[in-house]
Amino acid sequence: MADETYSAMQRQLRIWLRIAFLAGMVSGSLLISAMSVAYFDFDSLPPFVIEKLPLRFQTLWLASLRVHVLAAAISFPLCLASLTRAVQRRVALHRVLGRIAGIVVLFGLLPSGAVLSLDAKGGPFVSAGFLFSGSIVAYALFHGVRAARRHLLVAHARAMRHVVAQMSVAVSSRALIVGFDSAGIDPEVAYMIALWVPVLASALLAELLSPSSGLRASCVVLIERIRREMSSFALVVRVRALVRPVPRLGR
Amino acid sequence: MFVLSFVPSLASADDPDSVAWAEQRVQKEIVRPLAEQVSKRFSRARPAPRERRVRITDPTPSHDAKGRDFVPFAVDVRFGGAEWKRDDVVGCVYRASGAVFIRREGAYYPASLLLGKGVAAVSGVCEPSPPARS
Repeated sequence: MADETYSAMQRQLRIWLRIAFLAGMVSGSLLISAMSVAYFDFDSLPPFVIEKLPLRFQTLWLASLRVHVLAAAISFPLCLASLTRAVQRRVALHRVLGRIAGIVVLFGLLPSGAVLSLDAKGGPFVSAGFLFSGSIVAYALFHGVRAARRHLLVAHARAMRHVVAQMSVAVSSRALIVGFDSAGIDPEVAYMIALWVPVLASALLAELLSPSSGLRASCVVLIERIRREMSSFALVVRVRALVRPVPRLGR
Repeated sequence: MFVLSFVPSLASADDPDSVAWAEQRVQKEIVRPLAEQVSKRFSRARPAPRERRVRITDPTPSHDAKGRDFVPFAVDVRFGGAEWKRDDVVGCVYRASGAVFIRREGAYYPASLLLGKGVAAVSGVCEPSPPARS
Protein backbone atom coordinates (compact mmCIF):
# COMPACT_ATOMS: atom_id res chain seq x y z
CA MET A 1 0.00 0.00 0.00
CA ALA A 2 2.77 2.39 1.00
CA ASP A 3 4.72 1.44 -2.13
CA GLU A 4 1.66 2.16 -4.32
CA THR A 5 1.20 5.59 -2.74
CA TYR A 6 4.89 6.30 -3.16
CA SER A 7 4.75 5.29 -6.86
CA ALA A 8 1.61 7.39 -7.46
CA MET A 9 3.26 10.40 -5.83
CA GLN A 10 6.37 9.86 -7.91
CA ARG A 11 4.28 9.70 -11.11
CA GLN A 12 2.41 12.87 -10.18
CA LEU A 13 5.62 14.68 -9.36
CA ARG A 14 7.10 13.65 -12.71
CA ILE A 15 4.05 14.98 -14.55
CA TRP A 16 4.25 18.32 -12.76
CA LEU A 17 8.00 18.60 -13.29
CA ARG A 18 7.53 17.81 -16.98
CA ILE A 19 4.84 20.49 -17.33
CA ALA A 20 6.95 23.03 -15.43
CA PHE A 21 9.99 22.24 -17.60
CA LEU A 22 8.04 22.56 -20.86
CA ALA A 23 6.31 25.78 -19.76
CA GLY A 24 9.60 27.31 -18.59
CA MET A 25 11.41 26.37 -21.78
CA VAL A 26 8.64 27.58 -24.10
CA SER A 27 8.52 30.93 -22.26
CA GLY A 28 12.31 31.17 -22.29
CA SER A 29 12.51 30.33 -25.98
CA LEU A 30 9.90 32.97 -26.85
CA LEU A 31 11.68 35.54 -24.71
CA ILE A 32 15.05 34.82 -26.33
CA SER A 33 13.50 35.03 -29.80
CA ALA A 34 11.87 38.36 -28.94
CA MET A 35 15.17 39.71 -27.58
CA SER A 36 17.01 38.53 -30.68
CA VAL A 37 14.92 40.52 -33.16
CA ALA A 38 17.48 43.34 -32.76
CA TYR A 39 20.11 41.14 -34.42
CA PHE A 40 18.22 41.50 -37.70
CA ASP A 41 18.42 45.31 -37.68
CA PHE A 42 21.14 45.74 -40.29
CA ASP A 43 21.70 49.46 -39.53
CA SER A 44 22.92 49.22 -35.95
CA LEU A 45 24.63 46.67 -33.77
CA PRO A 46 23.14 45.36 -30.51
CA PRO A 47 25.17 45.50 -27.24
CA PHE A 48 26.01 41.79 -27.35
CA VAL A 49 27.79 42.35 -30.66
CA ILE A 50 29.34 45.71 -29.70
CA GLU A 51 31.15 44.26 -26.70
CA LYS A 52 32.92 41.80 -29.03
CA LEU A 53 34.08 44.37 -31.58
CA PRO A 54 36.38 44.38 -33.42
CA LEU A 55 35.93 40.80 -34.66
CA ARG A 56 38.40 39.05 -36.93
CA PHE A 57 35.73 37.93 -39.39
CA GLN A 58 32.88 40.28 -38.57
CA THR A 59 30.69 39.48 -41.59
CA LEU A 60 30.96 35.74 -41.04
CA TRP A 61 30.37 36.14 -37.31
CA LEU A 62 27.29 38.32 -37.76
CA ALA A 63 25.88 35.96 -40.41
CA SER A 64 26.48 33.02 -38.05
CA LEU A 65 24.76 34.87 -35.21
CA ARG A 66 21.66 35.46 -37.34
CA VAL A 67 21.59 31.86 -38.60
CA HIS A 68 22.05 30.59 -35.03
CA VAL A 69 19.25 32.74 -33.62
CA LEU A 70 16.87 31.76 -36.41
CA ALA A 71 17.76 28.07 -36.22
CA ALA A 72 17.26 28.05 -32.44
CA ALA A 73 13.94 29.89 -32.70
CA ILE A 74 12.68 27.17 -35.08
CA SER A 75 14.28 24.02 -33.72
CA PHE A 76 13.91 24.43 -29.96
CA PRO A 77 10.10 24.80 -29.92
CA LEU A 78 9.85 21.90 -32.38
CA CYS A 79 11.99 19.73 -30.09
CA LEU A 80 9.87 20.72 -27.10
CA ALA A 81 6.68 19.92 -29.00
CA SER A 82 8.13 16.51 -29.94
CA LEU A 83 8.66 15.78 -26.25
CA THR A 84 4.95 16.09 -25.45
CA ARG A 85 2.81 12.99 -25.18
CA ALA A 86 0.23 14.56 -27.53
CA VAL A 87 2.76 14.71 -30.39
CA GLN A 88 4.40 11.42 -29.53
CA ARG A 89 1.00 9.69 -29.86
CA ARG A 90 0.74 11.04 -33.43
CA VAL A 91 3.67 9.16 -34.91
CA ALA A 92 3.58 10.79 -38.36
CA LEU A 93 3.54 14.29 -36.87
CA HIS A 94 6.32 13.39 -34.41
CA ARG A 95 8.40 12.11 -37.32
CA VAL A 96 7.86 15.25 -39.45
CA LEU A 97 8.61 17.64 -36.57
CA GLY A 98 11.66 15.60 -35.61
CA ARG A 99 13.01 15.63 -39.16
CA ILE A 100 12.57 19.39 -39.55
CA ALA A 101 14.18 20.04 -36.15
CA GLY A 102 17.03 17.60 -36.91
CA ILE A 103 17.84 19.23 -40.24
CA VAL A 104 17.73 22.75 -38.77
CA VAL A 105 19.95 21.72 -35.84
CA LEU A 106 22.43 19.80 -37.98
CA PHE A 107 22.81 22.30 -40.81
CA GLY A 108 21.99 25.59 -39.05
CA LEU A 109 22.34 25.58 -35.29
CA LEU A 110 25.49 23.47 -34.89
CA PRO A 111 27.75 24.96 -37.59
CA SER A 112 26.78 28.55 -36.72
CA GLY A 113 27.23 27.82 -33.01
CA ALA A 114 30.72 26.45 -33.67
CA VAL A 115 31.69 29.66 -35.50
CA LEU A 116 30.27 31.83 -32.69
CA SER A 117 31.98 29.79 -29.98
CA LEU A 118 35.44 30.60 -31.38
CA ASP A 119 34.96 34.27 -30.47
CA ALA A 120 33.05 33.65 -27.23
CA LYS A 121 33.69 36.20 -24.51
CA GLY A 122 35.49 34.71 -21.55
CA GLY A 123 38.23 33.06 -23.60
CA PRO A 124 39.08 29.45 -24.39
CA PHE A 125 37.36 28.01 -21.30
CA VAL A 126 34.00 29.44 -22.39
CA SER A 127 34.64 28.47 -26.03
CA ALA A 128 35.29 24.93 -24.82
CA GLY A 129 31.97 24.96 -22.94
CA PHE A 130 30.01 25.92 -26.05
CA LEU A 131 31.89 23.39 -28.20
CA PHE A 132 31.35 20.66 -25.59
CA SER A 133 27.61 21.37 -25.51
CA GLY A 134 27.48 21.36 -29.32
CA SER A 135 29.39 18.07 -29.45
CA ILE A 136 26.87 16.45 -27.12
CA VAL A 137 24.03 17.68 -29.38
CA ALA A 138 25.76 16.40 -32.54
CA TYR A 139 26.62 13.01 -31.01
CA ALA A 140 23.18 12.54 -29.45
CA LEU A 141 21.42 13.65 -32.63
CA PHE A 142 23.40 11.17 -34.73
CA HIS A 143 22.65 8.30 -32.32
CA GLY A 144 19.02 9.39 -31.87
CA VAL A 145 18.35 9.37 -35.61
CA ARG A 146 20.12 6.02 -36.02
CA ALA A 147 18.09 4.53 -33.16
CA ALA A 148 14.83 5.85 -34.63
CA ARG A 149 15.64 4.31 -38.00
CA ARG A 150 16.22 0.96 -36.26
CA HIS A 151 13.01 1.38 -34.22
CA LEU A 152 14.98 1.39 -30.97
CA LEU A 153 12.62 3.82 -29.26
CA VAL A 154 14.17 3.75 -25.78
CA ALA A 155 17.61 4.56 -27.19
CA HIS A 156 16.05 7.24 -29.42
CA ALA A 157 14.31 8.87 -26.45
CA ARG A 158 17.51 8.81 -24.40
CA ALA A 159 19.52 10.48 -27.17
CA MET A 160 16.85 13.09 -27.85
CA ARG A 161 16.65 13.94 -24.15
CA HIS A 162 20.31 14.88 -24.37
CA VAL A 163 19.66 17.06 -27.44
CA VAL A 164 16.82 18.94 -25.72
CA ALA A 165 18.75 19.14 -22.45
CA GLN A 166 21.67 20.89 -24.16
CA MET A 167 19.31 23.18 -26.07
CA SER A 168 17.67 24.10 -22.78
CA VAL A 169 21.04 25.52 -21.66
CA ALA A 170 20.18 28.62 -23.72
CA VAL A 171 17.34 29.33 -21.29
CA SER A 172 18.82 28.10 -18.01
CA SER A 173 22.10 29.86 -18.67
CA ARG A 174 20.39 33.22 -19.27
CA ALA A 175 18.24 32.73 -16.18
CA LEU A 176 21.42 32.15 -14.15
CA ILE A 177 23.05 35.27 -15.63
CA VAL A 178 20.03 37.33 -14.51
CA GLY A 179 20.21 35.75 -11.05
CA PHE A 180 23.94 36.34 -10.70
CA ASP A 181 23.51 39.95 -11.84
CA SER A 182 20.87 40.49 -9.16
CA ALA A 183 23.25 38.97 -6.61
CA GLY A 184 25.99 41.38 -7.69
CA ILE A 185 28.41 38.72 -8.92
CA ASP A 186 31.12 39.81 -11.35
CA PRO A 187 29.67 39.38 -14.88
CA GLU A 188 32.75 37.61 -16.25
CA VAL A 189 32.73 34.97 -13.51
CA ALA A 190 28.94 34.73 -13.75
CA TYR A 191 29.10 34.17 -17.50
CA MET A 192 31.52 31.27 -17.10
CA ILE A 193 29.56 29.57 -14.31
CA ALA A 194 26.25 30.22 -16.06
CA LEU A 195 27.53 28.29 -19.05
CA TRP A 196 29.34 25.31 -17.57
CA VAL A 197 26.94 24.50 -14.72
CA PRO A 198 23.84 24.18 -16.96
CA VAL A 199 25.79 22.23 -19.62
CA LEU A 200 27.00 19.63 -17.10
CA ALA A 201 23.79 19.58 -15.06
CA SER A 202 21.66 19.13 -18.18
CA ALA A 203 23.79 16.21 -19.37
CA LEU A 204 23.55 14.60 -15.92
CA LEU A 205 19.80 15.15 -15.65
CA ALA A 206 19.14 13.80 -19.15
CA GLU A 207 21.07 10.69 -18.23
CA LEU A 208 19.26 10.27 -14.91
CA LEU A 209 15.88 10.63 -16.61
CA SER A 210 16.62 7.93 -19.18
CA PRO A 211 15.28 4.51 -18.16
CA SER A 212 18.01 2.72 -20.15
CA SER A 213 20.84 4.65 -18.49
CA GLY A 214 23.30 2.73 -16.33
CA LEU A 215 23.80 5.80 -14.15
CA ARG A 216 20.07 6.01 -13.49
CA ALA A 217 19.90 2.27 -12.68
CA SER A 218 22.60 2.57 -10.04
CA CYS A 219 20.97 5.72 -8.61
CA VAL A 220 17.57 4.01 -8.43
CA VAL A 221 19.08 0.99 -6.66
CA LEU A 222 20.82 3.29 -4.16
CA ILE A 223 17.67 5.34 -3.46
CA GLU A 224 15.55 2.19 -3.07
CA ARG A 225 18.06 0.73 -0.64
CA ILE A 226 18.08 3.93 1.43
CA ARG A 227 14.28 4.06 1.37
CA ARG A 228 13.92 0.46 2.48
CA GLU A 229 16.47 0.77 5.25
CA MET A 230 15.12 4.06 6.53
CA SER A 231 11.39 3.88 7.33
CA SER A 232 9.38 7.13 7.30
CA PHE A 233 8.82 6.78 11.06
CA ALA A 234 12.57 6.59 11.67
CA LEU A 235 13.04 9.63 9.46
CA VAL A 236 10.48 11.65 11.48
CA VAL A 237 12.21 10.65 14.72
CA ARG A 238 15.57 11.71 13.32
CA VAL A 239 14.25 15.05 12.05
CA ARG A 240 12.61 15.75 15.42
CA ALA A 241 15.84 14.85 17.19
CA LEU A 242 17.63 17.40 15.04
CA VAL A 243 15.00 20.14 15.29
CA ARG A 244 14.08 19.86 18.97
CA PRO A 245 17.37 21.04 20.46
CA VAL A 246 17.17 24.29 18.46
CA PRO A 247 14.21 25.93 20.30
CA ARG A 248 15.67 24.73 23.61
CA LEU A 249 18.72 26.90 23.03
CA GLY A 250 16.47 29.95 23.24
CA ARG A 251 15.19 29.15 26.73
CA MET B 1 33.37 61.61 -40.35
CA PHE B 2 37.00 61.51 -39.27
CA VAL B 3 37.57 64.97 -40.80
CA LEU B 4 34.42 66.34 -39.17
CA SER B 5 35.53 65.08 -35.78
CA PHE B 6 38.44 67.52 -35.89
CA VAL B 7 36.33 70.62 -36.52
CA PRO B 8 37.16 72.88 -33.57
CA SER B 9 34.62 73.03 -30.77
CA LEU B 10 33.98 75.91 -28.38
CA ALA B 11 36.44 74.60 -25.82
CA SER B 12 39.94 75.91 -26.37
CA ALA B 13 43.25 74.33 -25.49
CA ASP B 14 43.81 77.13 -23.00
CA ASP B 15 40.65 76.28 -21.07
CA PRO B 16 41.72 76.46 -17.38
CA ASP B 17 39.41 73.63 -16.43
CA SER B 18 40.35 71.29 -19.24
CA VAL B 19 40.13 68.19 -17.05
CA ALA B 20 36.52 68.94 -16.16
CA TRP B 21 35.82 69.74 -19.80
CA ALA B 22 37.33 66.43 -20.97
CA GLU B 23 35.28 64.59 -18.33
CA GLN B 24 32.15 66.29 -19.60
CA ARG B 25 32.95 65.28 -23.19
CA VAL B 26 33.32 61.63 -22.13
CA GLN B 27 30.13 61.86 -20.08
CA LYS B 28 28.27 63.25 -23.09
CA GLU B 29 29.75 60.96 -25.74
CA ILE B 30 29.95 57.70 -23.82
CA VAL B 31 28.52 57.53 -20.31
CA ARG B 32 25.12 59.18 -20.84
CA PRO B 33 24.25 57.44 -24.14
CA LEU B 34 25.24 54.07 -22.67
CA ALA B 35 23.16 54.72 -19.54
CA GLU B 36 20.18 55.60 -21.73
CA GLN B 37 20.39 52.31 -23.62
CA VAL B 38 17.78 49.85 -22.50
CA SER B 39 19.55 46.87 -20.99
CA LYS B 40 18.20 43.50 -22.08
CA ARG B 41 17.83 41.26 -19.10
CA PHE B 42 17.40 37.85 -20.74
CA SER B 43 20.47 37.98 -22.93
CA ARG B 44 24.05 36.78 -23.03
CA ALA B 45 25.16 40.40 -23.30
CA ARG B 46 27.00 41.75 -20.28
CA PRO B 47 24.49 43.22 -17.81
CA ALA B 48 24.53 47.01 -17.67
CA PRO B 49 26.78 48.32 -14.88
CA ARG B 50 25.07 49.97 -11.91
CA GLU B 51 27.50 52.91 -12.13
CA ARG B 52 30.13 54.37 -14.43
CA ARG B 53 32.77 56.95 -13.56
CA VAL B 54 35.18 58.87 -15.74
CA ARG B 55 38.84 59.30 -14.82
CA ILE B 56 41.25 61.54 -16.65
CA THR B 57 44.35 59.37 -16.40
CA ASP B 58 46.81 62.13 -17.26
CA PRO B 59 45.68 65.75 -16.97
CA THR B 60 48.73 66.96 -18.87
CA PRO B 61 47.84 66.98 -22.57
CA SER B 62 49.87 64.83 -24.93
CA HIS B 63 50.46 65.57 -28.62
CA ASP B 64 49.94 63.10 -31.44
CA ALA B 65 52.10 62.86 -34.55
CA LYS B 66 50.22 65.77 -36.13
CA GLY B 67 50.77 67.93 -33.04
CA ARG B 68 47.17 67.86 -31.83
CA ASP B 69 46.57 67.88 -28.08
CA PHE B 70 44.66 65.08 -26.44
CA VAL B 71 43.88 63.93 -22.91
CA PRO B 72 43.69 60.22 -22.09
CA PHE B 73 40.76 58.95 -20.03
CA ALA B 74 39.34 55.75 -18.58
CA VAL B 75 35.81 54.76 -17.67
CA ASP B 76 35.45 52.51 -14.62
CA VAL B 77 32.32 50.49 -13.97
CA ARG B 78 30.69 49.03 -10.91
CA PHE B 79 28.27 46.12 -10.98
CA GLY B 80 26.41 44.78 -7.95
CA GLY B 81 29.50 44.46 -5.78
CA ALA B 82 31.29 47.26 -3.98
CA GLU B 83 34.44 47.12 -6.10
CA TRP B 84 35.03 49.26 -9.17
CA LYS B 85 36.31 47.52 -12.27
CA ARG B 86 38.93 49.88 -13.64
CA ASP B 87 39.60 50.71 -17.28
CA ASP B 88 36.44 49.21 -18.70
CA VAL B 89 36.78 51.72 -21.52
CA VAL B 90 39.97 53.63 -22.28
CA GLY B 91 40.56 56.29 -24.87
CA CYS B 92 41.30 59.94 -25.37
CA VAL B 93 39.60 63.30 -25.92
CA TYR B 94 40.99 65.81 -28.40
CA ARG B 95 41.12 69.24 -26.85
CA ALA B 96 40.57 71.29 -29.97
CA SER B 97 37.75 69.32 -31.55
CA GLY B 98 36.30 67.48 -28.58
CA ALA B 99 36.46 64.22 -30.56
CA VAL B 100 36.42 61.14 -28.34
CA PHE B 101 38.15 57.90 -29.32
CA ILE B 102 38.22 54.56 -27.55
CA ARG B 103 40.74 51.73 -27.67
CA ARG B 104 39.77 48.22 -28.67
CA GLU B 105 42.25 45.42 -29.39
CA GLY B 106 45.13 47.87 -29.76
CA ALA B 107 43.35 50.16 -32.27
CA TYR B 108 41.42 53.41 -31.74
CA TYR B 109 37.85 53.91 -32.88
CA PRO B 110 35.43 56.84 -32.67
CA ALA B 111 33.39 56.55 -29.45
CA SER B 112 30.25 55.93 -31.49
CA LEU B 113 31.45 52.31 -31.85
CA LEU B 114 30.14 51.74 -28.32
CA LEU B 115 26.70 52.83 -29.48
CA GLY B 116 26.57 50.31 -32.28
CA LYS B 117 27.69 52.44 -35.19
CA GLY B 118 29.78 50.67 -37.80
CA VAL B 119 32.95 52.77 -37.73
CA ALA B 120 36.46 51.96 -38.84
CA ALA B 121 39.63 52.20 -36.76
CA VAL B 122 41.43 55.54 -37.02
CA SER B 123 45.19 55.40 -37.22
CA GLY B 124 47.52 57.86 -35.56
CA VAL B 125 45.09 59.12 -32.91
CA CYS B 126 45.61 59.01 -29.14
CA GLU B 127 49.23 58.00 -29.62
CA PRO B 128 51.74 60.47 -28.21
CA SER B 129 54.44 61.41 -30.66
CA PRO B 130 57.96 60.58 -29.53
CA PRO B 131 59.83 63.59 -28.09
CA ALA B 132 61.86 65.47 -30.69
CA ARG B 133 65.60 64.85 -30.65
CA SER B 134 67.82 67.80 -29.91
